[in-house]
Amino acid sequence: MKQYKNNKLGLVGLGLLIFFLLIAVFAPYIAPYDPHQRFDSTEHPNSEHLLGTNHVGQDILSELIYGTRVSLFITLFASIAAVGIGIFIGLVVGYFKRFDFYLMRLTDLFLTIPKLPVIIIIAAFMLPSVWNLVFVFAIFEWAITARIIRAEVLTLRHRNYVEATRLFGAKDSHILAWHIFPYVVPLVFVQLVLVSRYIILAESGLSFIGLGDPTAKSWGMMLHDAFAYPTIFISDLWMWWMLPAGLCIVLTILAFTFIGYALEEIVNPSLKKSPWI
Amino acid sequence: MQTNVITKIVGYIIIIFIIISLNFFLPRMMPAGPLSGLTSSTPPVLEQYITYMVDLMHGDLGWSSSKNAPVWDVLIRSMKWTLLLVGSSTAIYISLGILLGAVSAWKKGKKTDVGLLVLFIVLAAFPPFFLGMLFIIYFGWRLDLFPRFGAQTLYIDYSTAFGTILDILHHLFLPALTLTLTSIGVIYLLTRNSMLSVLDQEYIQTARAKGLGEWYIIRRHALKNAMLPIITLVALIAGLAITGTIFVETVFAYPGVGLLVSDAIAAHDYPLLQGAFLFFAFAILAVNFTADRVYELLDPRVKED
Repeated sequence: MKQYKNNKLGLVGLGLLIFFLLIAVFAPYIAPYDPHQRFDSTEHPNSEHLLGTNHVGQDILSELIYGTRVSLFITLFASIAAVGIGIFIGLVVGYFKRFDFYLMRLTDLFLTIPKLPVIIIIAAFMLPSVWNLVFVFAIFEWAITARIIRAEVLTLRHRNYVEATRLFGAKDSHILAWHIFPYVVPLVFVQLVLVSRYIILAESGLSFIGLGDPTAKSWGMMLHDAFAYPTIFISDLWMWWMLPAGLCIVLTILAFTFIGYALEEIVNPSLKKSPWI
Repeated sequence: MQTNVITKIVGYIIIIFIIISLNFFLPRMMPAGPLSGLTSSTPPVLEQYITYMVDLMHGDLGWSSSKNAPVWDVLIRSMKWTLLLVGSSTAIYISLGILLGAVSAWKKGKKTDVGLLVLFIVLAAFPPFFLGMLFIIYFGWRLDLFPRFGAQTLYIDYSTAFGTILDILHHLFLPALTLTLTSIGVIYLLTRNSMLSVLDQEYIQTARAKGLGEWYIIRRHALKNAMLPIITLVALIAGLAITGTIFVETVFAYPGVGLLVSDAIAAHDYPLLQGAFLFFAFAILAVNFTADRVYELLDPRVKED
């Protein structure tokens, strides 16, 4: 905790993320209009619509605020699910030797499979919905976490205190939950941040090429709409329609990058590896 | 050592099988999929699967309804543009990323280093399609320096080969720049970190004590040893750039396989989407496989695992 407080970049990242999270949580109170409500289309910014309106007359500022909700919801749910699966498999594989061979081959398989093309093709055949996106990302993002947790558990399980607990007759489930899991928690946080960073980037891309949920528009989906509008670049529309949504994505990704940097320096002070692969 | 190689190859075969099967079963599994209207007179699934495999071996990927042509022909026509875009960008971001990473490590903490570091971390936070849109607005519309879409000027017949090449490069510039800038960060940072840890080693001190030139040490002693961890990740980075073309080509309407993906999604042209999917999946697998082999050749330690 104290170490994190001393890391300026980490604090900036955390501040940005909390800012967007607050917007997401309190979207109905902050947004001036319902994002589905229609006014005149493609209005320029004015006192009633601070960022104008889009091609079907929806208030862009309200869309942006509700978009925060959709983008962060998909990102956080999918990364929690993916890392959750990764932790479970990593702990089981690392602790019980029996499953090691088959589960590690499965992990290798998921690491080698060309993720994004597979995610795109599955998303294209499913009905476009927020939950389906969460599902696909969770299924294809757990493998790296599993591998990292396994490596850590392999070193932990032969520590003296773990052997001692086992000699006292503690059950495996007890040892895993109380004597091994707490030590992998810092790694879990690093993984959560890195996976989130990947998912928000991938989600915006998927939505941009038309695989997002049209009933719950994320930032990527807003960019999809804006880009499809014929005169988006010739008129000044891009300034309030495209730019804010794009910058929100960039800022969120930077937030995750900075937090990842700070956490990685604490978890792994000697190896300052690149946090954003 | 032998078993390790065999497990890996078996792994690749399984993945190829999974990818092909996914392509076959996905349209048949989805509740409102494109095949839901078919009647009961269709042959059993196993029979369909065998026919599908045989067709695939013959390069028959079905008919693209939106392009009104066989999927295979459409893919072949688009492939050269994707290869040109990915190939040129990859060559640039790998060489430039390694060079700048080495320079950054050498000038650690100085202005050059901090400037490059901030620049590449921020650039890596840009989704490729968003950066592409900004380039179109600024370089395409505002400054009118580069074409805003396509790979060649339409309806213009260049009399000389030189003119054609110039036109193609002119169209290639912005998409390639976008792909390069969004992909370069990872390899830059990797080289920088790898170099920093190598420059701390004692044999570098020895080389300095011998009075060798600084640039000679970087080139001959440091970079050589720093390269190994970089090569392991080149495949991963190349994979990212290959999928990045889907978004870059969409933004610039660059007529490669990536544009086919978003076109097919918009037109609900599933056979075309599946063909493009096979292209991207196999391209990434091929890159991964090659990188694995190269790494084994360079580092004998890997084989002992």
